[in-house]
Amino acid sequence: MRALIFAVRSLVRQPGRTALGIIGIAAVGALLFDMLLLSRGLVVSFRDLLDSVGFDVRVTATDSPLPGGIRLTDATGAAAQIARLPGVAEAVPMRTATGEVWQTGRPVIGLMLTGMDPGARRPWTLITGADLGPSLAPPDLVVNQSLMDEVGGALGSEVTLRTGCDSSRAALAPRTFRIVGIAQFPFDDEAQRTAVMTRTALREACGDDKDEADMLMVASSGGAGAAVAAIRAARPDLVPVTNEQIVARMQTQGFTYFRQISAVLSTITLLFGFLLITVLLTVSVNQRLAEIAALRALGFSRGRAAADVLLQGAMLVGAGGILALPLGFALSLWLDQILKAMPGIPASMHFFVFEPRALVLHAALLVTTALLASAYPMWLVARLPIATTLRNEVVG
Amino acid sequence: MEPLIEARSLGKVFPMGGGPVHALRDISVQIAAGEYLTIRGPSGCGKSTLLHILGCVDTPSSGTLRFDGRDVSALPDHARSDLRLRSIGFVFQRFFLLPMLTAAENVDVPQAEAGVSRADRKRRTAELLDYVGLGHRAGHRPSQLSGGEAQRVAIARALANRPRLLLADEPTGELDRANGEHIAELLDRVQADGTTVVVVTHDAALAERAGRRLVMRDGLIEREEHAR
Amino acid sequence: MIGRRAAIAALCAAVAALSSVASSAPSPAPDILVSRQLLESQQLQVGDVVSLSSDTSGANPRSFRIAGQYEPTPDPMRLGAVRLEVRMHLPDVVGLTAQSDPLDAESVDAINVVLANDDEARATVRRLMTAVPGTLAERTGNDERRAAPFVVLERFHLAIAIVTVIASSVFLLALMLMLVEERRATVGMLRLIGFRRSRILQHVLAEGVVIAITGALFGVVLSVVLEGGINRFFQWRYDTALVFVHITPGVALRSVTVAVPLGVAAIFASSWSLLRGEGISLTRR
Repeated sequence: MRALIFAVRSLVRQPGRTALGIIGIAAVGALLFDMLLLSRGLVVSFRDLLDSVGFDVRVTATDSPLPGGIRLTDATGAAAQIARLPGVAEAVPMRTATGEVWQTGRPVIGLMLTGMDPGARRPWTLITGADLGPSLAPPDLVVNQSLMDEVGGALGSEVTLRTGCDSSRAALAPRTFRIVGIAQFPFDDEAQRTAVMTRTALREACGDDKDEADMLMVASSGGAGAAVAAIRAARPDLVPVTNEQIVARMQTQGFTYFRQISAVLSTITLLFGFLLITVLLTVSVNQRLAEIAALRALGFSRGRAAADVLLQGAMLVGAGGILALPLGFALSLWLDQILKAMPGIPASMHFFVFEPRALVLHAALLVTTALLASAYPMWLVARLPIATTLRNEVVG
Repeated sequence: MEPLIEARSLGKVFPMGGGPVHALRDISVQIAAGEYLTIRGPSGCGKSTLLHILGCVDTPSSGTLRFDGRDVSALPDHARSDLRLRSIGFVFQRFFLLPMLTAAENVDVPQAEAGVSRADRKRRTAELLDYVGLGHRAGHRPSQLSGGEAQRVAIARALANRPRLLLADEPTGELDRANGEHIAELLDRVQADGTTVVVVTHDAALAERAGRRLVMRDGLIEREEHAR
Repeated sequence: MIGRRAAIAALCAAVAALSSVASSAPSPAPDILVSRQLLESQQLQVGDVVSLSSDTSGANPRSFRIAGQYEPTPDPMRLGAVRLEVRMHLPDVVGLTAQSDPLDAESVDAINVVLANDDEARATVRRLMTAVPGTLAERTGNDERRAAPFVVLERFHLAIAIVTVIASSVFLLALMLMLVEERRATVGMLRLIGFRRSRILQHVLAEGVVIAITGALFGVVLSVVLEGGINRFFQWRYDTALVFVHITPGVALRSVTVAVPLGVAAIFASSWSLLRGEGISLTRR
């Protein structure tokens, strides 16, 4: 009889206990799997989001990664200069502002505004209608679905918009825009209302004559690293960062909480799994001491008897670990749904993202746990004094 | 003719809280191949300890033990395991059959451990179950067998790898008279078929069936009796 | 407090351009407060005079005297961010950041208003929005948007707690099953000598309650003991005064309230199979 079948029979012998053990490992494993998905989920998701925009380098005036700080001056000139650099395919200035849609007899609708110069790439995906054109009478506006629903108009309709630009010092007069298209903006959250217009239109709406931009969106042609080096050499006053660098920065700052909770809960779940397996196997071994001693008397070696315990541990963890995957996947959907309710999280971003390395790590951690957890009961079996155990059993 | 077992001046001391306990004191015994030997004595006289040492599940504190001419008193654990697996069979008072396996699977286990091929195991298992009169109970679990039947399966298991020596520790201790008689007859048959049999027992009737009987007291062989 | 977001961002960004000027003589430089993290990272001391600029190139710097250090208000959403911050008087911020536009000196990002009567907040917001078009007025107290991340995190923690409780229950049930299995022969013997099932059940439940209460209390004590260690570790790790774990009497009570019935239920469930069996069958090996 093969060792594997022997171990299976030993486990099946106590079906209730084995089932509980497997369910316990599955629950613990599901949580562990989710924590592994969470540990890098935001990073992977955020990187995918950045990459999906089509630009792999962002140039700002300061090392602040988000718009809203000090703006780049002479943005058009800077963009043209950077676009000419080797390794740069395109550089597009982008400016942000806040805005309000004013409609007679209806509440004011707040929104995020982006002004972007025309370029081959655009960080939004047009769903319906037309993209921005050069028209300034009235200027074109592309909005997201959420804003369109709120405004309630149709494509081609006009809206009155008042912009809030940081450099503006006075209440600005509302201006009329024409909604020409509906687009999906990758960084929008569920409730966010977003609109985009040309940077010229935004400048006019802001009532200033400064050629400023919050950042230049740069698409490299020979890798982001080379483009960043070229930009640094040409414009040492500017701060170019790659998507990878932004992700790395977010990893050490913005996503820290989730990485920490992932690390803490992973440790706790592994400890829990370790205890569960150790207790199950140790009690099982203690209840079968006489039987194990008899097998040893019949010629089973120490290694064979200990291997049986290890196999049982491995099978408990293996079955529980496999069951943990669909369970963990379902649980991750639930947890992701909960966390995505957090304000400011883009709708297309996820906290729990599957990566093959998470699966490998999950398996490796469970195998290690099984090995460690089996160590004590294996030691008990290996050190079992055959004659004394048999004698005690008879006396008992 | 060289004896199968040759024990010289065996001693066994158990360190206990209240001072060392001398379970065996200077025991010397020779057992010839094919012999039937029983060991009797009051509880605690050291007969099971002697059986365990003869069966290489325990090591003596002093003295030497030779099995088939080879000194086995100081063998490493793995070598003793291998010796037990291939040359010694054990029968216990409480059977110790594996409850999750059928009668046939219980007999199969030591053969599989010894690396016997599946076909040979199957043939040998069927042969042994027929030998102990339980061919029709091959697929039954120990919980579905009577005490006597379970002990017969245990004997079949002990004989699985054709051991040269069969050791039985109170094999009828948990059985009624009728079942005890069946087991005694079976042991007679095993010995008659060429296997050396050593039985530790309180049962005088069982002890009387052996060619040679050792009576122990306080860790010593008090006397030796031979069948008339 | 009235501040300028852009200016503060600039100040944070200009840390690289910040330089310390040793000065033993009394300085006319205006006072600023510096965050502990900034003070430590730049090896500054209270009393030092530093130059600050809102320009990334360090142009047009102004001198300030560090009047003291402060601990930034802990913010869980900025965990891991190094809080390099400076607080200064409004005219100093304006002076540091104002450019050629004459309106610069007249502009602020926000005006914080303290109302004499809190109940009038909603009405005041409405009045302000109507009276000054283009102004956004909002309540700061009980701001749902600010609380939203914590509400979400609380829900997340609750979900994790539910999964943990399920896993713990399974573990507990397995343990109790093994414990009861050990008692198989004892229960059989008690049944054989005439104990009623209900009597044995009383014993089992009483034992379960004692074990569950002891376990739950031990858990509370353990978490209280670990509380300090966990807080100290993470406060050190993230250089923050944020409290990460806080075991309140309410939390302890909730834990005990969940754990004790679970423990009792587990021992009851695991005992059921034994109590249903006949005495003689339980004593069999």
